[in-house]
Amino acid sequence: MSRRRPSTTAVVCAVIPALALTLGVIPADRLEPRIAGLPFVLAWIVAWVLLTPAFLWIAYRSERA
Amino acid sequence: MNAQVALGIVAVVVLATIALGLAGVRGVKMNPQEYIVGGRRIGALLLWLLLAGEIYTTFTFLGAAGWAYGKGAPAYYILCYGTLAYVISFFLAPPVHRIARERGYLTGPDFFSDRYGSRLLGALVALVGFVMLVPYVTLQLTGIQILVQIAGFGSIDPIVAVAIAFFLIAVFTFAAGLRGAAWAAVAKDGLVLIGVIFAGLVLPAHFFGSPAGALDAVLRDPAHPHWLVIGPPSAGANGITWVVTTVILTGCGFFMWPQSMAAIYSARDEDTLRRNAVFLPFYQVMLLLVFFAGFTALEVAPGLKGPNVDQSFLIVVRDHYPAWVLGIVAAAGTLAGLVPAAGQLLAAASIIGKNVCADYGFARGEAAQTLVTRVLVLVVALLAFGFWAVAKTTLVGLLLIGYNGVTQFFPGVVLGVSSRRPSAFAIGAGIVAGLVVLIGFAVRNVGQIGGVNAGLVALAANVVVLAIASAIVPARRPAEAPTAA
Repeated sequence: MSRRRPSTTAVVCAVIPALALTLGVIPADRLEPRIAGLPFVLAWIVAWVLLTPAFLWIAYRSERA
Repeated sequence: MNAQVALGIVAVVVLATIALGLAGVRGVKMNPQEYIVGGRRIGALLLWLLLAGEIYTTFTFLGAAGWAYGKGAPAYYILCYGTLAYVISFFLAPPVHRIARERGYLTGPDFFSDRYGSRLLGALVALVGFVMLVPYVTLQLTGIQILVQIAGFGSIDPIVAVAIAFFLIAVFTFAAGLRGAAWAAVAKDGLVLIGVIFAGLVLPAHFFGSPAGALDAVLRDPAHPHWLVIGPPSAGANGITWVVTTVILTGCGFFMWPQSMAAIYSARDEDTLRRNAVFLPFYQVMLLLVFFAGFTALEVAPGLKGPNVDQSFLIVVRDHYPAWVLGIVAAAGTLAGLVPAAGQLLAAASIIGKNVCADYGFARGEAAQTLVTRVLVLVVALLAFGFWAVAKTTLVGLLLIGYNGVTQFFPGVVLGVSSRRPSAFAIGAGIVAGLVVLIGFAVRNVGQIGGVNAGLVALAANVVVLAIASAIVPARRPAEAPTAA
Protein backbone atom coordinates (compact mmCIF):
# COMPACT_ATOMS: atom_id res chain seq x y z
CA MET A 1 0.00 0.00 0.00
CA SER A 2 2.36 2.73 -1.13
CA ARG A 3 1.29 6.29 -0.99
CA ARG A 4 2.96 8.90 -3.11
CA ARG A 5 4.21 11.65 -0.82
CA PRO A 6 2.71 15.08 -1.53
CA SER A 7 5.03 17.17 -3.70
CA THR A 8 7.09 19.95 -2.13
CA THR A 9 5.12 22.50 -4.14
CA ALA A 10 1.84 21.18 -2.72
CA VAL A 11 3.11 21.25 0.86
CA VAL A 12 4.47 24.81 0.52
CA CYS A 13 1.19 25.97 -1.06
CA ALA A 14 -0.73 24.53 1.87
CA VAL A 15 1.57 25.73 4.64
CA ILE A 16 1.46 29.40 3.54
CA PRO A 17 -2.31 29.97 4.01
CA ALA A 18 -2.34 27.68 7.07
CA LEU A 19 0.31 29.87 8.77
CA ALA A 20 -1.39 33.09 7.63
CA LEU A 21 -4.65 32.02 9.27
CA THR A 22 -3.06 30.86 12.54
CA LEU A 23 0.20 32.54 13.62
CA GLY A 24 -0.25 35.23 10.98
CA VAL A 25 -3.33 36.56 12.76
CA ILE A 26 -1.17 37.62 15.74
CA PRO A 27 0.73 40.50 14.02
CA ALA A 28 -2.36 41.28 11.91
CA ASP A 29 -4.54 41.90 14.96
CA ARG A 30 -4.94 45.66 14.44
CA LEU A 31 -7.81 48.03 13.64
CA GLU A 32 -5.91 50.32 11.25
CA PRO A 33 -5.52 50.58 8.34
CA ARG A 34 -9.13 49.69 7.65
CA ILE A 35 -9.68 48.08 4.27
CA ALA A 36 -13.08 48.55 2.59
CA GLY A 37 -14.42 49.48 6.01
CA LEU A 38 -13.20 46.24 7.60
CA PRO A 39 -10.82 46.30 10.55
CA PHE A 40 -7.35 45.26 9.35
CA VAL A 41 -7.45 41.92 11.17
CA LEU A 42 -10.80 40.97 9.62
CA ALA A 43 -9.63 42.09 6.16
CA TRP A 44 -6.46 39.98 6.63
CA ILE A 45 -8.49 36.89 7.51
CA VAL A 46 -11.01 37.37 4.67
CA ALA A 47 -8.20 37.96 2.16
CA TRP A 48 -6.46 34.73 3.19
CA VAL A 49 -9.73 32.76 3.12
CA LEU A 50 -10.19 33.94 -0.48
CA LEU A 51 -6.53 33.28 -1.37
CA THR A 52 -6.59 29.73 0.02
CA PRO A 53 -8.41 28.27 -3.03
CA ALA A 54 -5.73 29.82 -5.27
CA PHE A 55 -2.93 28.19 -3.25
CA LEU A 56 -4.75 24.86 -3.09
CA TRP A 57 -5.40 25.02 -6.83
CA ILE A 58 -1.65 25.25 -7.45
CA ALA A 59 -1.19 22.35 -5.02
CA TYR A 60 -3.88 20.41 -6.87
CA ARG A 61 -2.20 20.97 -10.24
CA SER A 62 1.20 19.95 -8.89
CA GLU A 63 -0.28 16.77 -7.38
CA ARG A 64 -1.82 15.79 -10.71
CA ALA A 65 1.31 16.45 -12.73
CA MET B 1 -51.74 37.33 13.94
CA ASN B 2 -48.05 38.08 13.38
CA ALA B 3 -47.13 34.89 15.17
CA GLN B 4 -49.50 32.88 12.98
CA VAL B 5 -47.99 34.29 9.78
CA ALA B 6 -44.39 33.70 10.85
CA LEU B 7 -44.98 30.26 12.34
CA GLY B 8 -47.19 29.32 9.38
CA ILE B 9 -44.35 30.02 6.94
CA VAL B 10 -41.93 27.96 9.05
CA ALA B 11 -44.42 25.06 9.12
CA VAL B 12 -45.03 25.13 5.37
CA VAL B 13 -41.30 25.23 4.56
CA VAL B 14 -40.48 22.39 6.96
CA LEU B 15 -43.31 20.19 5.62
CA ALA B 16 -42.30 20.92 2.02
CA THR B 17 -38.69 19.99 2.83
CA ILE B 18 -39.75 16.71 4.46
CA ALA B 19 -41.81 15.98 1.33
CA LEU B 20 -38.77 16.77 -0.86
CA GLY B 21 -36.66 14.44 1.27
CA LEU B 22 -39.19 11.64 0.92
CA ALA B 23 -39.46 12.19 -2.84
CA GLY B 24 -35.65 11.98 -3.07
CA VAL B 25 -35.52 8.51 -1.50
CA ARG B 26 -38.45 7.02 -3.43
CA GLY B 27 -37.42 4.01 -5.44
CA VAL B 28 -33.90 3.87 -4.00
CA LYS B 29 -33.16 0.33 -2.88
CA MET B 30 -31.62 0.60 0.55
CA ASN B 31 -28.69 -1.40 1.82
CA PRO B 32 -26.02 -0.27 4.28
CA GLN B 33 -23.66 0.88 1.46
CA GLU B 34 -26.39 2.94 -0.16
CA TYR B 35 -27.83 4.14 3.11
CA ILE B 36 -24.75 5.33 4.97
CA VAL B 37 -22.29 6.32 2.24
CA GLY B 38 -24.52 6.91 -0.78
CA GLY B 39 -23.08 3.94 -2.67
CA ARG B 40 -19.65 5.69 -2.75
CA ARG B 41 -20.40 7.46 -6.02
CA ILE B 42 -21.20 10.99 -5.04
CA GLY B 43 -19.61 13.39 -7.49
CA ALA B 44 -17.85 16.71 -6.90
CA LEU B 45 -20.86 19.03 -7.05
CA LEU B 46 -23.22 16.96 -4.90
CA LEU B 47 -20.41 16.27 -2.42
CA TRP B 48 -19.78 20.02 -2.20
CA LEU B 49 -23.45 20.53 -1.42
CA LEU B 50 -23.57 17.59 1.01
CA LEU B 51 -20.53 18.81 2.93
CA ALA B 52 -21.82 22.37 2.96
CA GLY B 53 -25.18 21.05 4.11
CA GLU B 54 -23.58 19.28 7.05
CA ILE B 55 -21.02 21.94 7.89
CA TYR B 56 -23.14 25.08 7.73
CA THR B 57 -25.74 24.54 10.42
CA THR B 58 -27.90 26.60 12.70
CA PHE B 59 -24.58 27.38 14.38
CA THR B 60 -23.46 29.29 11.30
CA PHE B 61 -26.78 31.06 11.15
CA LEU B 62 -27.27 32.09 14.78
CA GLY B 63 -24.18 31.09 16.76
CA ALA B 64 -21.62 33.03 14.71
CA ALA B 65 -23.81 36.16 14.82
CA GLY B 66 -24.35 35.61 18.53
CA TRP B 67 -20.61 35.57 19.16
CA ALA B 68 -20.00 38.67 17.06
CA TYR B 69 -22.72 40.27 19.19
CA GLY B 70 -21.62 38.90 22.56
CA LYS B 71 -17.82 38.62 22.25
CA GLY B 72 -16.83 40.65 19.20
CA ALA B 73 -13.60 39.92 17.33
CA PRO B 74 -12.81 36.48 18.85
CA ALA B 75 -15.70 35.30 16.62
CA TYR B 76 -13.31 35.72 13.68
CA TYR B 77 -11.85 32.35 14.64
CA ILE B 78 -14.86 30.78 12.91
CA LEU B 79 -13.72 32.14 9.53
CA CYS B 80 -10.21 30.74 10.02
CA TYR B 81 -10.78 27.24 11.34
CA GLY B 82 -12.96 25.97 8.52
CA THR B 83 -10.42 27.19 6.00
CA LEU B 84 -7.56 25.54 7.90
CA ALA B 85 -9.61 22.33 7.98
CA TYR B 86 -10.00 22.36 4.19
CA VAL B 87 -6.22 22.76 3.79
CA ILE B 88 -5.68 19.74 6.08
CA SER B 89 -8.37 17.75 4.27
CA PHE B 90 -6.60 18.33 0.96
CA PHE B 91 -3.89 15.93 2.18
CA LEU B 92 -5.76 13.77 4.68
CA ALA B 93 -9.14 13.05 3.02
CA PRO B 94 -7.85 11.33 -0.18
CA PRO B 95 -5.82 8.59 1.58
CA VAL B 96 -8.62 8.06 4.14
CA HIS B 97 -11.06 7.66 1.27
CA ARG B 98 -8.81 5.24 -0.60
CA ILE B 99 -8.28 3.02 2.43
CA ALA B 100 -12.02 3.13 3.26
CA ARG B 101 -12.90 2.05 -0.27
CA GLU B 102 -10.34 -0.77 -0.35
CA ARG B 103 -11.38 -2.09 3.05
CA GLY B 104 -15.12 -1.36 2.81
CA TYR B 105 -15.54 0.96 5.81
CA LEU B 106 -18.98 2.36 6.56
CA THR B 107 -18.40 4.35 9.74
CA GLY B 108 -15.67 6.56 11.20
CA PRO B 109 -14.81 4.04 13.95
CA ASP B 110 -14.38 1.31 11.27
CA PHE B 111 -11.20 3.13 10.29
CA PHE B 112 -9.80 2.69 13.81
CA SER B 113 -10.89 -0.90 14.35
CA ASP B 114 -9.45 -2.05 11.02
CA ARG B 115 -6.31 0.10 10.70
CA TYR B 116 -5.21 -0.71 14.23
CA GLY B 117 -6.65 -4.24 14.22
CA SER B 118 -8.69 -3.67 17.38
CA ARG B 119 -12.44 -4.02 17.68
CA LEU B 120 -12.15 -2.51 21.16
CA LEU B 121 -10.52 0.66 19.82
CA GLY B 122 -13.32 0.95 17.27
CA ALA B 123 -15.91 0.64 20.05
CA LEU B 124 -14.08 3.28 22.15
CA VAL B 125 -14.02 5.72 19.24
CA ALA B 126 -17.70 4.99 18.56
CA LEU B 127 -18.69 5.67 22.17
CA VAL B 128 -16.69 8.91 22.35
CA GLY B 129 -18.10 10.05 19.00
CA PHE B 130 -21.60 9.24 20.21
CA VAL B 131 -21.18 11.25 23.42
CA MET B 132 -19.64 14.21 21.58
CA LEU B 133 -22.50 14.32 19.10
CA VAL B 134 -24.91 15.01 21.96
CA PRO B 135 -23.88 18.67 22.46
CA TYR B 136 -23.86 19.11 18.66
CA VAL B 137 -27.46 17.89 18.43
CA THR B 138 -28.29 20.04 21.46
CA LEU B 139 -26.92 22.98 19.47
CA GLN B 140 -29.40 22.31 16.66
CA LEU B 141 -32.21 21.79 19.16
CA THR B 142 -31.40 25.08 20.89
CA GLY B 143 -31.23 26.89 17.57
CA ILE B 144 -34.66 25.66 16.48
CA GLN B 145 -36.08 26.47 19.90
CA ILE B 146 -34.83 30.08 19.60
CA LEU B 147 -36.32 30.37 16.11
CA VAL B 148 -39.70 28.96 17.10
CA GLN B 149 -39.83 31.18 20.17
CA ILE B 150 -39.05 34.36 18.25
CA ALA B 151 -41.29 33.49 15.28
CA GLY B 152 -44.05 32.98 17.88
CA PHE B 153 -43.55 36.55 19.14
CA GLY B 154 -43.10 35.33 22.69
CA SER B 155 -46.42 33.49 22.70
CA ILE B 156 -44.64 30.14 22.96
CA ASP B 157 -43.04 28.91 26.16
CA PRO B 158 -39.34 27.86 25.85
CA ILE B 159 -40.18 24.33 27.00
CA VAL B 160 -42.93 24.06 24.37
CA ALA B 161 -40.57 25.51 21.77
CA VAL B 162 -37.85 22.95 22.55
CA ALA B 163 -40.46 20.17 22.51
CA ILE B 164 -41.51 21.31 19.03
CA ALA B 165 -37.85 21.36 17.98
CA PHE B 166 -37.33 17.86 19.37
CA PHE B 167 -40.45 16.60 17.60
CA LEU B 168 -39.40 18.17 14.26
CA ILE B 169 -35.91 16.65 14.45
CA ALA B 170 -37.19 13.19 15.35
CA VAL B 171 -39.90 13.15 12.67
CA PHE B 172 -37.55 14.53 10.02
CA THR B 173 -34.86 11.94 10.76
CA PHE B 174 -37.31 9.05 10.80
CA ALA B 175 -39.09 10.17 7.65
CA ALA B 176 -36.22 11.30 5.46
CA GLY B 177 -33.18 9.24 6.48
CA LEU B 178 -29.74 10.22 5.28
CA ARG B 179 -30.34 10.30 1.56
CA GLY B 180 -33.48 12.30 2.15
CA ALA B 181 -31.41 14.68 4.24
CA ALA B 182 -28.94 15.13 1.38
CA TRP B 183 -31.80 16.13 -0.89
CA ALA B 184 -33.24 18.43 1.73
CA ALA B 185 -29.77 19.98 2.04
CA VAL B 186 -30.13 21.42 -1.45
CA ALA B 187 -33.34 23.26 -0.48
CA LYS B 188 -31.81 24.26 2.83
CA ASP B 189 -28.65 25.76 1.32
CA GLY B 190 -30.67 27.94 -1.05
CA LEU B 191 -32.92 29.29 1.69
CA VAL B 192 -30.04 29.80 4.14
CA LEU B 193 -28.13 31.77 1.52
CA ILE B 194 -31.13 34.07 1.07
CA GLY B 195 -31.46 34.43 4.84
CA VAL B 196 -27.75 35.20 5.30
CA ILE B 197 -27.69 37.77 2.48
CA PHE B 198 -30.73 39.45 4.00
CA ALA B 199 -29.32 39.49 7.52
CA GLY B 200 -25.76 40.38 6.52
CA LEU B 201 -26.33 42.95 3.76
CA VAL B 202 -29.94 44.21 3.85
CA LEU B 203 -30.08 44.69 7.64
CA PRO B 204 -26.88 46.76 7.95
CA ALA B 205 -27.81 48.75 4.83
CA HIS B 206 -31.22 49.52 6.32
CA PHE B 207 -29.90 50.83 9.62
CA PHE B 208 -26.40 52.13 8.84
CA GLY B 209 -26.26 52.56 5.05
CA SER B 210 -23.78 49.68 4.54
CA PRO B 211 -22.00 46.88 6.43
CA ALA B 212 -19.02 49.23 6.87
CA GLY B 213 -21.45 51.75 8.40
CA ALA B 214 -22.51 49.12 10.94
CA LEU B 215 -18.84 48.54 11.84
CA ASP B 216 -18.38 52.31 12.24
CA ALA B 217 -21.35 52.38 14.60
CA VAL B 218 -19.80 49.59 16.69
CA LEU B 219 -16.50 51.49 16.84
CA ARG B 220 -18.20 54.74 17.91
CA ASP B 221 -20.16 53.05 20.68
CA PRO B 222 -18.31 53.66 23.99
CA ALA B 223 -20.10 50.66 25.56
CA HIS B 224 -17.61 48.24 24.02
CA PRO B 225 -14.26 49.62 22.92
CA HIS B 226 -11.85 47.38 20.97
CA TRP B 227 -14.79 45.18 19.91
CA LEU B 228 -13.44 44.68 16.38
CA VAL B 229 -9.89 43.63 17.27
CA ILE B 230 -9.01 40.46 19.15
CA GLY B 231 -6.45 41.86 21.60
CA PRO B 232 -3.96 40.25 23.99
CA PRO B 233 -5.02 37.49 26.39
CA SER B 234 -6.67 38.87 29.51
CA ALA B 235 -8.67 37.50 32.41
CA GLY B 236 -11.99 36.03 31.35
CA ALA B 237 -11.75 37.19 27.75
CA ASN B 238 -10.85 35.28 24.61
CA GLY B 239 -7.60 36.87 23.47
CA ILE B 240 -5.36 36.30 20.48
CA THR B 241 -3.71 33.23 22.05
CA TRP B 242 -7.13 31.65 22.50
CA VAL B 243 -8.09 32.46 18.91
CA VAL B 244 -4.93 30.94 17.41
CA THR B 245 -5.02 27.80 19.55
CA THR B 246 -8.75 27.33 18.96
CA VAL B 247 -8.27 27.65 15.20
CA ILE B 248 -5.61 24.92 15.34
CA LEU B 249 -7.73 22.68 17.60
CA THR B 250 -10.98 22.96 15.68
CA GLY B 251 -9.23 22.95 12.30
CA CYS B 252 -7.78 19.52 13.21
CA GLY B 253 -11.12 18.32 14.58
CA PHE B 254 -13.28 19.50 11.68
CA PHE B 255 -13.34 16.24 9.70
CA MET B 256 -13.12 13.97 12.76
CA TRP B 257 -16.89 14.00 13.36
CA PRO B 258 -18.44 10.62 12.52
CA GLN B 259 -20.74 12.21 9.93
CA SER B 260 -17.76 13.98 8.29
CA MET B 261 -15.77 10.74 8.02
CA ALA B 262 -18.82 9.16 6.36
CA ALA B 263 -18.95 12.11 3.92
CA ILE B 264 -15.29 11.47 3.01
CA TYR B 265 -16.12 7.80 2.32
CA SER B 266 -19.10 8.79 0.16
CA ALA B 267 -16.98 10.62 -2.46
CA ARG B 268 -16.61 9.06 -5.90
CA ASP B 269 -12.81 9.26 -5.91
CA GLU B 270 -9.79 10.96 -4.37
CA ASP B 271 -9.72 13.65 -7.03
CA THR B 272 -13.28 14.71 -6.06
CA LEU B 273 -12.11 15.25 -2.48
CA ARG B 274 -9.07 17.31 -3.51
CA ARG B 275 -11.16 19.54 -5.76
CA ASN B 276 -13.67 19.99 -2.94
CA ALA B 277 -10.90 21.10 -0.58
CA VAL B 278 -9.85 23.68 -3.18
CA PHE B 279 -13.30 25.25 -3.51
CA LEU B 280 -14.89 24.84 -0.06
CA PRO B 281 -13.15 27.94 1.43
CA PHE B 282 -15.39 30.12 -0.77
CA TYR B 283 -18.34 28.96 1.33
CA GLN B 284 -16.70 30.54 4.38
CA VAL B 285 -17.36 34.02 3.02
CA MET B 286 -20.98 33.56 4.13
CA LEU B 287 -19.69 33.86 7.69
CA LEU B 288 -18.49 37.41 7.06
CA LEU B 289 -22.10 38.39 6.32
CA VAL B 290 -23.23 36.63 9.49
CA PHE B 291 -20.74 38.75 11.48
CA PHE B 292 -22.19 41.89 9.87
CA ALA B 293 -25.64 40.76 11.03
CA GLY B 294 -24.37 40.26 14.58
CA PHE B 295 -22.62 43.66 14.70
CA THR B 296 -25.73 45.38 13.31
CA ALA B 297 -27.87 43.75 16.01
CA LEU B 298 -25.41 44.88 18.67
CA GLU B 299 -26.13 48.52 17.83
CA VAL B 300 -29.85 48.18 17.01
CA ALA B 301 -30.92 45.85 19.82
CA PRO B 302 -28.27 46.04 22.56
CA GLY B 303 -28.50 44.45 25.97
CA LEU B 304 -28.80 40.69 25.27
CA LYS B 305 -26.72 38.64 27.71
CA GLY B 306 -25.52 35.05 28.10
CA PRO B 307 -27.12 32.48 25.79
CA ASN B 308 -29.63 35.14 24.66
CA VAL B 309 -26.97 36.65 22.35
CA ASP B 310 -27.84 33.87 19.90
CA GLN B 311 -31.13 35.67 19.23
CA SER B 312 -29.27 38.80 18.10
CA PHE B 313 -30.34 39.64 14.57
CA LEU B 314 -33.61 37.71 14.82
CA ILE B 315 -34.82 40.23 17.40
CA VAL B 316 -34.01 43.01 14.92
CA VAL B 317 -35.92 41.26 12.14
CA ARG B 318 -38.87 40.65 14.45
CA ASP B 319 -39.07 44.24 15.67
CA HIS B 320 -38.44 46.09 12.41
CA TYR B 321 -39.78 43.93 9.57
CA PRO B 322 -43.13 42.39 8.55
CA ALA B 323 -43.99 38.99 9.98
CA TRP B 324 -43.56 37.22 6.63
CA VAL B 325 -39.90 38.31 6.45
CA LEU B 326 -39.33 36.93 9.93
CA GLY B 327 -41.11 33.74 8.81
CA ILE B 328 -38.75 33.21 5.88
CA VAL B 329 -35.63 33.92 7.94
CA ALA B 330 -36.85 31.63 10.72
CA ALA B 331 -37.70 28.91 8.19
CA ALA B 332 -34.17 29.11 6.76
CA GLY B 333 -32.73 28.80 10.25
CA THR B 334 -35.00 25.88 11.12
CA LEU B 335 -33.87 23.94 8.04
CA ALA B 336 -30.27 24.80 8.96
CA GLY B 337 -30.93 22.97 12.22
CA LEU B 338 -33.04 20.06 10.98
CA VAL B 339 -30.92 18.89 8.06
CA PRO B 340 -27.60 18.59 9.94
CA ALA B 341 -29.39 17.21 13.00
CA ALA B 342 -30.72 14.33 10.91
CA GLY B 343 -27.19 13.57 9.69
CA GLN B 344 -25.80 13.79 13.21
CA LEU B 345 -28.49 11.60 14.76
CA LEU B 346 -28.03 8.94 12.09
CA ALA B 347 -24.23 9.07 12.43
CA ALA B 348 -24.47 8.69 16.21
CA ALA B 349 -26.92 5.81 15.88
CA SER B 350 -24.96 4.06 13.12
CA ILE B 351 -21.60 4.08 14.94
CA ILE B 352 -23.11 2.49 18.05
CA GLY B 353 -25.23 0.11 15.96
CA LYS B 354 -22.23 -1.00 13.89
CA ASN B 355 -19.10 -0.66 16.04
CA VAL B 356 -20.55 -1.57 19.43
CA CYS B 357 -23.64 -3.73 18.80
CA ALA B 358 -22.97 -5.54 15.51
CA ASP B 359 -19.18 -5.90 15.99
CA TYR B 360 -19.82 -7.53 19.35
CA GLY B 361 -22.48 -9.88 18.02
CA PHE B 362 -25.68 -8.12 19.05
CA ALA B 363 -28.34 -7.18 16.54
CA ARG B 364 -26.80 -9.02 13.62
CA GLY B 365 -29.78 -9.27 11.25
CA GLU B 366 -30.86 -6.37 9.07
CA ALA B 367 -34.23 -6.02 10.79
CA ALA B 368 -32.58 -5.99 14.22
CA GLN B 369 -30.05 -3.38 13.06
CA THR B 370 -32.76 -1.11 11.74
CA LEU B 371 -34.58 -1.37 15.04
CA VAL B 372 -31.39 -0.62 17.01
CA THR B 373 -30.66 2.39 14.79
CA ARG B 374 -34.14 3.83 15.27
CA VAL B 375 -34.06 3.34 19.03
CA LEU B 376 -30.58 4.95 19.18
CA VAL B 377 -31.76 7.95 17.13
CA LEU B 378 -34.36 8.51 19.81
CA VAL B 379 -31.80 7.99 22.60
CA VAL B 380 -29.45 10.65 21.20
CA ALA B 381 -32.32 13.08 20.70
CA LEU B 382 -33.44 12.51 24.30
CA LEU B 383 -29.88 12.96 25.61
CA ALA B 384 -29.62 16.20 23.62
CA PHE B 385 -32.88 17.31 25.19
CA GLY B 386 -31.54 16.53 28.65
CA PHE B 387 -28.27 18.34 27.91
CA TRP B 388 -30.26 21.39 26.82
CA ALA B 389 -32.00 21.40 30.20
CA VAL B 390 -28.78 21.35 32.26
CA ALA B 391 -26.15 23.18 30.17
CA LYS B 392 -27.37 26.66 29.47
CA THR B 393 -24.60 27.86 27.20
CA THR B 394 -24.26 29.64 23.88
CA LEU B 395 -24.28 27.80 20.55
CA VAL B 396 -20.52 28.38 20.19
CA GLY B 397 -20.02 27.02 23.69
CA LEU B 398 -21.87 23.81 22.77
CA LEU B 399 -19.89 23.38 19.58
CA LEU B 400 -16.55 23.80 21.36
CA ILE B 401 -17.45 21.07 23.89
CA GLY B 402 -17.94 18.57 21.07
CA TYR B 403 -14.84 19.71 19.19
CA ASN B 404 -12.63 19.20 22.24
CA GLY B 405 -13.72 15.57 22.23
CA VAL B 406 -13.63 14.56 18.57
CA THR B 407 -10.26 16.27 18.00
CA GLN B 408 -8.75 13.53 20.18
CA PHE B 409 -9.21 11.23 17.13
CA PHE B 410 -6.92 13.38 14.98
CA PRO B 411 -3.59 11.66 15.84
CA GLY B 412 -5.16 8.26 15.18
CA VAL B 413 -6.45 9.27 11.75
CA VAL B 414 -3.20 10.98 10.68
CA LEU B 415 -1.02 8.05 11.81
CA GLY B 416 -3.64 5.63 10.48
CA VAL B 417 -3.00 6.57 6.86
CA SER B 418 0.74 5.96 7.21
CA SER B 419 2.33 2.59 6.68
CA ARG B 420 4.08 2.66 10.07
CA ARG B 421 1.19 2.74 12.48
CA PRO B 422 1.52 2.60 16.26
CA SER B 423 -0.31 -0.05 18.29
CA ALA B 424 -4.02 0.15 19.03
CA PHE B 425 -3.08 0.35 22.71
CA ALA B 426 -1.05 3.52 22.13
CA ILE B 427 -3.82 5.23 20.14
CA GLY B 428 -6.44 4.22 22.71
CA ALA B 429 -4.27 5.36 25.64
CA GLY B 430 -3.78 8.72 23.94
CA ILE B 431 -7.51 9.21 23.40
CA VAL B 432 -8.28 8.22 27.00
CA ALA B 433 -5.57 10.60 28.31
CA GLY B 434 -6.98 13.45 26.24
CA LEU B 435 -10.47 12.78 27.56
CA VAL B 436 -9.30 12.56 31.18
CA VAL B 437 -7.66 15.97 30.82
CA LEU B 438 -10.82 17.37 29.20
CA ILE B 439 -13.06 16.05 31.95
CA GLY B 440 -10.67 17.46 34.57
CA PHE B 441 -10.94 20.91 32.98
CA ALA B 442 -14.69 20.62 32.53
CA VAL B 443 -15.26 19.73 36.19
CA ARG B 444 -13.29 22.82 37.27
CA ASN B 445 -15.01 24.87 34.55
CA VAL B 446 -11.63 25.80 33.00
CA GLY B 447 -11.86 26.86 29.35
CA GLN B 448 -8.33 28.14 28.85
CA ILE B 449 -4.91 27.90 30.47
CA GLY B 450 -2.90 31.08 30.15
CA GLY B 451 -5.02 32.02 27.16
CA VAL B 452 -4.52 28.64 25.45
CA ASN B 453 -7.69 26.69 24.59
CA ALA B 454 -7.95 23.83 27.11
CA GLY B 455 -8.84 21.41 24.31
CA LEU B 456 -5.41 21.92 22.74
CA VAL B 457 -3.77 21.12 26.09
CA ALA B 458 -5.78 17.88 26.11
CA LEU B 459 -4.64 17.13 22.56
CA ALA B 460 -1.01 17.67 23.65
CA ALA B 461 -1.52 15.23 26.54
CA ASN B 462 -3.00 12.78 24.05
CA VAL B 463 0.09 12.97 21.80
CA VAL B 464 2.56 12.66 24.71
CA VAL B 465 0.79 9.60 26.14
CA LEU B 466 0.53 8.13 22.63
CA ALA B 467 4.30 8.47 22.18
CA ILE B 468 5.10 6.93 25.59
CA ALA B 469 2.55 4.12 25.18
CA SER B 470 3.81 3.19 21.73
CA ALA B 471 7.31 2.86 23.16
CA ILE B 472 5.98 0.48 25.84
CA VAL B 473 3.62 -1.44 23.52
CA PRO B 474 4.98 -1.26 19.97
CA ALA B 475 2.88 -2.29 17.00
CA ARG B 476 2.94 -6.05 16.52
CA ARG B 477 1.97 -5.79 12.89
CA PRO B 478 4.98 -5.76 10.53
CA ALA B 479 5.21 -2.68 8.32
CA GLU B 480 3.37 -3.33 5.11
CA ALA B 481 5.50 -4.04 2.09
CA PRO B 482 5.06 -1.33 -0.54
CA THR B 483 3.06 -2.50 -3.49
CA ALA B 484 2.28 -0.76 -6.73
CA ALA B 485 -0.85 1.36 -6.36
